[in-house]
Amino acid sequence: MARVLFEWDYSGYPGAKLYPHLFSPIQIGNIIVPNRIKYAATEDNLNSHDGFITDADVAYMRSRAEGVVGGMCFMQGVYMDKPGKGQGYVGQAACWDDKFIPGLKRIADAIHGEKAVAGFQLMDCGRVGAVNVESGHGPSTVPQRLRIFRPMYEMTKEEIKEMIQQHVDSARRGVEAGFDMIEISGIVGYLVSNFISKYTNRRTDEYGGDIRGRMQAVVEIIQGVKAVCGKDIPVGIRLCSEELLDDVRGNTPEESMQSYKIAEEAGVDYISCTLGWQESIYPVISRDIPQGNWLHLAKRAKSNVKVPIQMAYRLFTPDRPEKAIAAGELDVWEMCRPMIADPLMPKKVLEGRENEIRHCVACNLCLARLFRDAPMTCYINPLCAHEHDERIYPKPAEEKKTVMIVGAGPAGLECAYVAAQRGHEVHVYDKRQELGGTILDASRAPYGDDELMTCIGYQKTMCEKYGVQFHLGKEVTEEMISDELPDTVVLATGPVYRELGQAKGRAVNVLDVLNGKADVGDKVLVWGNRKPGIGVALYLAKKGKKVSLVGKEKSAGFDINPSFKWRYMIYLRQSGVNVYNDCDIESVGEGEIIVKTYDGYRFPLACDTVVISERDANEALKKAVQGEGIEMYVIGDALVPRNLSSAVHDGYRIGLRI
Amino acid sequence: MGVDAEKEITKLWRDLHSAQDEICKTYYRWREVAVEMAGPGVKPLDVALKAAEKMGKEIGKSFLPRLNWLKGEDVFLLSLGRLMAGLWLTEGGIAAAEKGDKPGEVLITCTRCPWPSAAKEYGVPMEEVALTRLRLFESLLEDVSVFFNIPLKIEMLKAIPRGHGVYLLRLYKANGGGK
Repeated sequence: MARVLFEWDYSGYPGAKLYPHLFSPIQIGNIIVPNRIKYAATEDNLNSHDGFITDADVAYMRSRAEGVVGGMCFMQGVYMDKPGKGQGYVGQAACWDDKFIPGLKRIADAIHGEKAVAGFQLMDCGRVGAVNVESGHGPSTVPQRLRIFRPMYEMTKEEIKEMIQQHVDSARRGVEAGFDMIEISGIVGYLVSNFISKYTNRRTDEYGGDIRGRMQAVVEIIQGVKAVCGKDIPVGIRLCSEELLDDVRGNTPEESMQSYKIAEEAGVDYISCTLGWQESIYPVISRDIPQGNWLHLAKRAKSNVKVPIQMAYRLFTPDRPEKAIAAGELDVWEMCRPMIADPLMPKKVLEGRENEIRHCVACNLCLARLFRDAPMTCYINPLCAHEHDERIYPKPAEEKKTVMIVGAGPAGLECAYVAAQRGHEVHVYDKRQELGGTILDASRAPYGDDELMTCIGYQKTMCEKYGVQFHLGKEVTEEMISDELPDTVVLATGPVYRELGQAKGRAVNVLDVLNGKADVGDKVLVWGNRKPGIGVALYLAKKGKKVSLVGKEKSAGFDINPSFKWRYMIYLRQSGVNVYNDCDIESVGEGEIIVKTYDGYRFPLACDTVVISERDANEALKKAVQGEGIEMYVIGDALVPRNLSSAVHDGYRIGLRI
Repeated sequence: MGVDAEKEITKLWRDLHSAQDEICKTYYRWREVAVEMAGPGVKPLDVALKAAEKMGKEIGKSFLPRLNWLKGEDVFLLSLGRLMAGLWLTEGGIAAAEKGDKPGEVLITCTRCPWPSAAKEYGVPMEEVALTRLRLFESLLEDVSVFFNIPLKIEMLKAIPRGHGVYLLRLYKANGGGK
């Protein structure tokens, strides 16, 4: 008899009417889950470096559990060996001893406190592991392609048996801690996937050979975990549906589907369908990949096995999974990054508050931080990983103030709604007729940058919700400030762009290029090799222009996080953009620009247009505000030209401080 | 204001060649220190071969992200041969790689190598120059072979320091290739 852990009735909610399949129950093993939503296990580096659960992680998980509104909420994968060969992240939770059970129980209790199904994941990081020790373990000794990872050494048969037992023991601890489901992680280069792939498994004994041999260790893990879990605790596995490792002779898609069938035969109650490894040369989850791009893999998995299929990977809005579930191509909508950006995302869907969702912009900063031993953070969600810290939540202001915010870009809008939420009277001014500031233009850059506007959409909704008053098409002057004398002025005016006097007539501004106001010739030199320069260079290259990118940074895209930057570097190469780093413009001649390298070499670049993307802080209005003795804050690019993330985080924190 | 192209290129070349000269000299200065520190019981050749092994291993790792199996075995081998020839180019040599007569075989030639001249300056035997180059390439291939699961070998057919006037190395797949 299948169990219902918590009663949920969605019938009165608008989201359940709009997405009836998402909010319909599903049986996973012997548990009836009331909806099709799952927060998928995600590392966050929030735990202590010896593997104990912290308050920060409990709070992080509690907020995600609230978000799934009765669905499945999985804590991060735990490593299971005392030496830590399986530990891939410095703040990864451990489970190699019973002493970890009380901490793990706190997470299970927090999830249950939100009436959600608590999931526990077993994750030996294998090839991606050994973060705190000199070498890791794997089925075979295969050198690392990415130097960030440790060398791997072949496990003996005894070590394999021990590893299988560690999975079983850890599953038992998970059950004792109170978790309702156990999941085995077999993805992206972790140990289970290392056994399955012929790229990393070269063994000739019973744990190697053909796909059945390479699955043998996995089968033994599944059977051992099933035995310890009994019939009431479902056991699932995350498996690659495609490794995307053709260049290093990895598994074929057919072999991957065979691995699904073998896992099903071994007794798993569901399969989470994933793709790609950390070291794959193809992009999978970055912003340049269209939403819903991988759903065909879930469909293929469904046609190969009978157990429920779950999937994440570029499914950021409820419409696509709803449609796929209705069509019988998917069973459960998984999320990691969308619920990092907004932990209450599915709850807002259910309550008909989709416009209040802060959407992930698929920048992969969260991922980049984990690999650099830093705690999780989010590009656009300032609360992420600070859920335990009371100081991060807006509290009513002690003294209500009139706040004038100059600039309706992401910094200004973020600050505006937070300040208004706290009870201040907030007025936002912008010389443009639209909200969005620089993002209005930046979002026109190719390869998914249109998704940046979702941030503005969210901020607009929140500003309206908290009564922010907009004054659009109105440029703030010193006189206006003197006349209105607000209690506080926040300058969120964006950066000023450098001038290139010698190139008068041929120099245009990056924003004018992106919004189509500037005439651009066929040979273009983009000045500035940070993200704005890269964005406009790719935009112009797509229009068939011959583009050169010249900038002072030693590497182009210095301000883009490494988990996304590699995509831009490939696009620049593919688009034929010539990139000159460590360089600056020395002089402007007729039909050409003289470029000088950092160490003094000079060379000419033919160009008929120079696009200026080099930026400086904006000093405008500062003196006028200071002169009036008004409380003043400068935020976003006006303070220091950076990126969208800095603008949002600046705005939020100053919104708390006013 | 234009650029005097000849002047700029001359300056670039001069600086590049100075930097290339320093590669060999720096190596041999370190070799002297290593031999001295190792003491009289250790043969200088063993020290040099150990160093070549270490360097080859590191260089091999750096090749892994630059190699791709997707275009097939022949293209893979030729790309690898070109990367190996490229090492000589960065040091100031003249080198190239081309397909051999047999399948699974690539020939690497080097017609100008800066190492023998530098070795002479530091009193290093010519045979050591040839042997260290071979050891460097052999150890470079170790990780590449394991990573791509393809047994690769290299043999030195001719060497400038042996008086052949040219380096000629044969890179081949050990089982069934090139023999």
